[in-house]
Amino acid sequence: MDADSDVALDILITNVVCVFKTRCHLNLRKIALEGANVIYKRDVGKVLMKLRKPRITATIWSSGKVICTGATSEEEAKFGARRLARSLQKLGFQVIFTDFKVVNVLAVCNMPFEIRLPEFTKNNRPHASYEPELHPAVCYRIKTLRATLQIFSTGSITVTGPNVKAVASAVEQIYPFVFESRK
Amino acid sequence: VEDAHYAQQQLVCASCGCVLAEGLLTTTYTEEEQLREVTYSHSTGQREQQSRCLQRGIRRVQDLCKVLQLPGSFEETAVSYFQRAFQHPSFHLVSLEKKELLGGCCVFVTCRQHNWPLTMGTICSLLYAKQEHFANVFLSLQKELELSVPALSLAELVKTQLSSFQLFQPEAAIPAQFVEDKEMMVTRTMQLVELASQTWLVTGRHPVPIVTAAAFLAWQSLQPSTRLTCTLGQFCKLGGTPLPPPAHLRLKELLEILLRMAAQLAWLRVFHLDKKSVVKHIGDLLQHRIFQKKENEKEKKKEKEKEKEKEKEKEKEKEKEKEKEKEKEECGEGSLEGQGKRKSKQSRLRPLLPPCLINPRKRPRAAAPSAADSGVSGEEPISDTELEQYLRDPEEIRAL
Repeated sequence: MDADSDVALDILITNVVCVFKTRCHLNLRKIALEGANVIYKRDVGKVLMKLRKPRITATIWSSGKVICTGATSEEEAKFGARRLARSLQKLGFQVIFTDFKVVNVLAVCNMPFEIRLPEFTKNNRPHASYEPELHPAVCYRIKTLRATLQIFSTGSITVTGPNVKAVASAVEQIYPFVFESRK
Repeated sequence: VEDAHYAQQQLVCASCGCVLAEGLLTTTYTEEEQLREVTYSHSTGQREQQSRCLQRGIRRVQDLCKVLQLPGSFEETAVSYFQRAFQHPSFHLVSLEKKELLGGCCVFVTCRQHNWPLTMGTICSLLYAKQEHFANVFLSLQKELELSVPALSLAELVKTQLSSFQLFQPEAAIPAQFVEDKEMMVTRTMQLVELASQTWLVTGRHPVPIVTAAAFLAWQSLQPSTRLTCTLGQFCKLGGTPLPPPAHLRLKELLEILLRMAAQLAWLRVFHLDKKSVVKHIGDLLQHRIFQKKENEKEKKKEKEKEKEKEKEKEKEKEKEKEKEKEKEECGEGSLEGQGKRKSKQSRLRPLLPPCLINPRKRPRAAAPSAADSGVSGEEPISDTELEQYLRDPEEIRAL
């Protein structure tokens, strides 16, 4: 196996977190009363609303800030956020869908080989941090992409980054280093 | 003459000192003209002398080093790290509890840098701290001071852990047949730990349970006839050490590896070994492992040389093929055969996978349809009927 040869790796996006603002005050009690699939957390001052399609959970604050989690692509996240904004509009609020931004993307990728973590850590200091007493995986940070990778000995890699492009670049960057330390 | 007593202006007689007239007490910060309050952090006092907090922290670091019986050079290094961290903005204004943890982290980092086998569990128990808090402070210390912290040395950990066992000297509570020679036990435990690290049992796991399980197997294998009936829990009790919960699982995994090794050896296959009886042959298996390792290294070198030769031959043939169109791929067939042999050898050399791959608990993830497949662009219109499912009927609202 040669690190330079083309290897098709499946990067599975498991979660996309996005935020948007409604630019108006939201009455959480009204949303809790009139909205379906809603959980009102009065003590923390937020409402959780779950959409079925796309499968998204939205956290709504009375200031008008909304965080959506659970989407499996950036487009799905935007669609879900817009759907939520429309639902709030239907409830009677003067919602304006603004400041939409994808904040975090979580993806999983499987390498076709096992990885020797102590060797990998030795070869990749200071970016790699491996403390088996704390966590079974190596934590590798790429500052330029603002991405963090968790590399397990089984070859499974969990990547978090600000967007899908950064996540894909992070996997591309890590592959040769991980390939060096394969079993 | 004009005088001032704290914030109050006064007119005082110069000869007798009687207060002749008093001014108003100032009520706001802006009205105060004299003796403005200056916080300690803005004054020069903290630069001129060590604060009490820093002195207390340094004393705590020194005490920890004495309790752990560390060499003098470790203490100096740990104190210097603590002083550096204390001045750093991330640690200067934190809680006292965190400052105490910071001292412990400095000692921990110093030990790791000198290959001194101090575990997080030990230092957390000395500090009466939760491991997650300690971990947070440790990781931020490593990041802020840019310290290089090498991995925990398993070999040193084995020696330290075994020295805490009370099985090397005859005592009233310990039967004579359970007492063991320390050197032999250390050697055999190290071999078992090395075997565990080569067979994916150490990567990503806590090191102490592995050492406990290896020590137990080593102790049993040195006199199996009298010790096979003793369990892991009893062994730890006799030795006077706590039994870490994952040790049972590590013991089970180690025994499975040993059984697999035994199945590869012709003279042991005859015995139909199980988890109890394989303990008697651990010595032979470990010796054979060392021999096998050397053989594997020799074979790998030979294969690499063969591969290089074949690559050179292939390159020469490719050049010939360019010149001549028709040629038999004899060498190609030969290389295929060689590849087949290599694969079978590799399968023999590499039969082992991490335990979680052999016994997967998680269901394999089904790939979610990609955005292109599902045709979602994010900008599609949303019909009212789709939204009705998220809104309650007026009757439901009235019922609520």
